[in-house]
Amino acid sequence: MSLELIKDILLATVPLLVIFPSLFAFTTWMERKALARIQNRIGPNKIGIPCTRIGLFGLGQPAADGIKMIFKEDIVPRGADKLFHLLAPILALIPAMLILCFLPLEFPWGKFMSGQVQAFLLDSAVIFFFAISGLATLAIFMAGWASRNKYSLLGGMRAVAQMVSYEIPLVLSAVVVVMMAGSLNAKEIADVQTGFNWFVLTPWGLAAFIVFFVAALAETNRSPFDLPEAESEIIAGYFTEYSGFKFALFFLGEYIAMFAISGLAVTLFLGAGDGPFLAVAPWLSVVWFIAKIFGLIAVMIWLRGTLPRLRVDQLMAFAWKFLLPLSIFNILLAGMSHHVTVAYPGTTAQVVTWTVSLVGMYVMAKGLDKISRSTAKPREYLYAE
Amino acid sequence: MSILGGGIFKGMAVTLRNFVGSYFSKERFITTNEYSWRPESELPQSIGDYPKEEGEQLSDTTTVNHYSRNFPMLLHDTGEPMDTIRCVACQICERECPPQCIYIEKSTEKKENADGKPQFYPAKFDIDVSVCMSCQICVEVCPFDAIVMNSQFELSTPDRFGGLLVRRDDLLKSNDYYHKIHPQEAATRDERMAADKAAKEAKKKAAAEKAKAAAEAKAAAAEAANESKEDTE
Repeated sequence: MSLELIKDILLATVPLLVIFPSLFAFTTWMERKALARIQNRIGPNKIGIPCTRIGLFGLGQPAADGIKMIFKEDIVPRGADKLFHLLAPILALIPAMLILCFLPLEFPWGKFMSGQVQAFLLDSAVIFFFAISGLATLAIFMAGWASRNKYSLLGGMRAVAQMVSYEIPLVLSAVVVVMMAGSLNAKEIADVQTGFNWFVLTPWGLAAFIVFFVAALAETNRSPFDLPEAESEIIAGYFTEYSGFKFALFFLGEYIAMFAISGLAVTLFLGAGDGPFLAVAPWLSVVWFIAKIFGLIAVMIWLRGTLPRLRVDQLMAFAWKFLLPLSIFNILLAGMSHHVTVAYPGTTAQVVTWTVSLVGMYVMAKGLDKISRSTAKPREYLYAE
Repeated sequence: MSILGGGIFKGMAVTLRNFVGSYFSKERFITTNEYSWRPESELPQSIGDYPKEEGEQLSDTTTVNHYSRNFPMLLHDTGEPMDTIRCVACQICERECPPQCIYIEKSTEKKENADGKPQFYPAKFDIDVSVCMSCQICVEVCPFDAIVMNSQFELSTPDRFGGLLVRRDDLLKSNDYYHKIHPQEAATRDERMAADKAAKEAKKKAAAEKAKAAAEAKAAAAEAANESKEDTE
């Protein structure tokens, strides 16, 4: 292995391993602050510079949390499967870190020094992304099973059911982008969208983006789909029996997965690193990319502060009866629009297809909503009411 | 026809309003009034300062503001606490309490309450602070308005068995105290109780009048019958 190659590998991967975990620390602080403000509280504000009373808006909180996590006792239940109990948090983190490599982040130094723009230049990056992120389900179920705790097992089972169900609308909404871009390569998908030709600005792209975002919330176990770790029902779900650094690894894995799936949403729908002033300063593309990721994460936090948790049956019905038909219908609409505009080039055809798509999508969604509402029985309570 | 997903946006608008508003209006921080009733020099400085002195943890001064609900208390009307206690030991709250933290022992004999009516009273009424989840269901189910929520929160104690079990005499608070800590709620409750009482009395009166009228009519009918009997004879 030549020195040049080692340098390339380090330049492509070390930034990912440095930037995203530090963004994770910042995001936990941001999330706690935002949720506190939504509930009219102040949030963490005491921990800033050690040994002084300078609070710095609580920015020292992630560091303090980290120190606490590392020094906490690592408790393994007596009946637990020790090997898998240890492997699960590691396995939860690895796929999350791995899929970051497929994001078309154009680090300036990589480009200038060796022409390399992202860690893995794969022609089938989108497929690989979904294939590897599916591994996280295994880690979560492993954690639930190895803990030998009924709450952990319940959480693990919920996680498997949820993540398997929501993977389908997630992939099907990404299919629309692959159809429009004509490529599975993340870099090519990003290049097609340069100059504000973002896929989210087309009717089918917008619909796919909404479906993708909702399914991504469920994939990363975020509220309102945080059933696998529902505190009020099953304590902490699959990581009930985890403490100390293993718990920190799960936590990190979850947030890195959030970054990764937001990054994929940015790549597929929001034009990747595209934005203003790129001609003046090409290095801004990384800034735009991460800013867009943070925009999506802010919406996730906002939703977490707003929506209550779904019931298990509502969750499944929403995936199979609403999102799945909607995303399939969206693929049909996108295909139709493409062929009509190819057959009849001109503005008239485009206006017609856009209106038909928008109205068709809304009517379809409304109809599905109506059907699911009409078949749902009112809940019967034995003791409440 | 409502817009699909409109409810989500409505909810997000509410949370956004709170998020932005919390940076501009101080009145929004209702949940973080730190020890507002006590001057700063008298604040507890370390864990050893709790409780400051005997009896303070159940004193009337430890309240926050009228939104705060922490732990149940028993109400009595003006007068000696045990003579005017509203609780009649019906044990509905004990049965409804989700974590089952209430323990009631009914008295064996009846005693006159504030209205001069003989009633049972709780010989024992204990609530376990460590078990209570402040759900306020006991307040909802009580038909006598005898149990309401207190807002005192300094309940820490060095004794983790006896100290966390609050007895009847410590739970008993006057209606005036209730008016002091939750003025709005107490006023509406008193209004409703008075209305209920008035309605009950009116009903009683009406029933009495009806019975009286019925008796008179019966007497008149009997008289008329007698008269007609006399006529025929």
